[in-house]
Amino acid sequence: MADAGDSSSSSSSSSMEKQFEGFLQQLEQSGNLRDRIRAVAAEIESSTRLMHSCLLLVHQSRPIPEVAARAEAQIDVLKGLYRRLAEILLELPGQYYRYHGDWRTETQTAISLIAFLHWLQTENLLEHSEVEQKLGLDSSEFGLDIEDYLIGICFMSNELPRYVVNQVTTGDYDCPRKVLAFLTDLHASFRMLNLRNDFLRKKFDGMKYDLRRVEEVYYDVKIRGLAPTGDSTGDQGTQA
Amino acid sequence: MLVRCSTALQRFYVIMATSFDKSTVAAEARLSSNPAKKPRKMSTNAAAMTAAFDKYAHYLNTLNDKRERVVKASRDITINSKKVIFQVHRISKYNRDEVLEKAEKDLAAVTDQYMSRLVKELQGTDFWKLRRAYSPGVQEYVEAATLYEFCKTGKLLNLEAINASLLPLSDPSFEPLQINILDYVLGVADLTGELMRLAIGRISDGELEYAKTICRFVREIYRKLTLVVPTMDENYEMKKKMDTMLQSVVKIENACFSVHVRGSEYIPLLGCSDPNFSFLGAQVLEL
Repeated sequence: MADAGDSSSSSSSSSMEKQFEGFLQQLEQSGNLRDRIRAVAAEIESSTRLMHSCLLLVHQSRPIPEVAARAEAQIDVLKGLYRRLAEILLELPGQYYRYHGDWRTETQTAISLIAFLHWLQTENLLEHSEVEQKLGLDSSEFGLDIEDYLIGICFMSNELPRYVVNQVTTGDYDCPRKVLAFLTDLHASFRMLNLRNDFLRKKFDGMKYDLRRVEEVYYDVKIRGLAPTGDSTGDQGTQA
Repeated sequence: MLVRCSTALQRFYVIMATSFDKSTVAAEARLSSNPAKKPRKMSTNAAAMTAAFDKYAHYLNTLNDKRERVVKASRDITINSKKVIFQVHRISKYNRDEVLEKAEKDLAAVTDQYMSRLVKELQGTDFWKLRRAYSPGVQEYVEAATLYEFCKTGKLLNLEAINASLLPLSDPSFEPLQINILDYVLGVADLTGELMRLAIGRISDGELEYAKTICRFVREIYRKLTLVVPTMDENYEMKKKMDTMLQSVVKIENACFSVHVRGSEYIPLLGCSDPNFSFLGAQVLEL
């Protein structure tokens, strides 16, 4: 047995050598690809940061169209960046999730901002397919992961209490009602999902605190008779 | 400013808002009642939201069920690969062929029964998305297959060869599951721990030359991996394994050293039934 090991050790070590050299090459290639992906992800991050800072103006009760126009410019930038990302990943079909972690967080933030902007404009929830459309993603090639989308929506929910508080402070007393209705529906919709004990679950669990905070603001406004009664369509426009 | 809800929707909200008491009660009722009953009470907005979330729920349910099945398959692979490893460790000078024959059968059974289940589950998709779910099983399988191969031929079983053996398990119309480099390398890292045990066992059996062969082999793997590891994707786990691997190498080296240095006293004693001398042998074993 011992000599069998000896005689084969030279040939075995050369085939081992070859295999590990191959690994090294492939892993280095993969590392280069990852660097390229990370570079794009960094650009996505800085674009979302710009967009976030634009959107923060709504807390200073700047008119929504003005805020939206600035923020929407970033959506186009993001669209271009996701096209680049898709091009890189199309080189390696089927390996989307191998590198997914490298752009995940940035994407979740981007979704939360785009969905928040969409809500400001329409008071509707931006659906998964609509985000894909806005970012020029195609689920057959390079799509948006549904879990990332849902996490992004949870992040958006975190923004709402602050928005409500600031709107009320500047005299928009109808805002809490709108946000409460939206958030209540959103929370109810999330309850339809069977979640695992993961990050999404944690974010969803946090959503109820947003809901409670908005309820409190609505209560404060309502109990002091500040909330508009009757048809309030008229003053809504100027207040927002 | 651009708040353009449909008038029906507006009215719905207004009705909600007319009475504070009613609306909070309604909100609470929504939170606690069964979501399936929702759509009737909700506005068109909410109905669209519900429809969209139905799709997400379906996606998540399907994915989670699949993940569960993959985890189960992976666990079965782990358990049964461990059995193969234990079988290989039963090897000694006298029963080598018999032990390896049984190990080969066991390994084939793991491939046919359990790996095939994983392969079928992952048919065509989600190799990377579900990697965390099946990686432990695949690593253990690589460990068992390479350990068996080493005992049989003294060589390191290539990833290519393992992947080739998986091909017949999958439906040719799908993209077959192929073990990736990362899982293979992680499995090979674990292999060195098993080889350390094997080497110590061989020394206590008096097969010093075989132990030295193992020592060279493990040293070579360690050396190769030092180059590969820094380029690996998430190499935290691998770095820990490298430390363990170095310990294994050193353990084998020390054992070989002890026998080598005290060889003149030790080897003649082998098989000696005199209880006075067994002490010396025992000392070597502890190292």
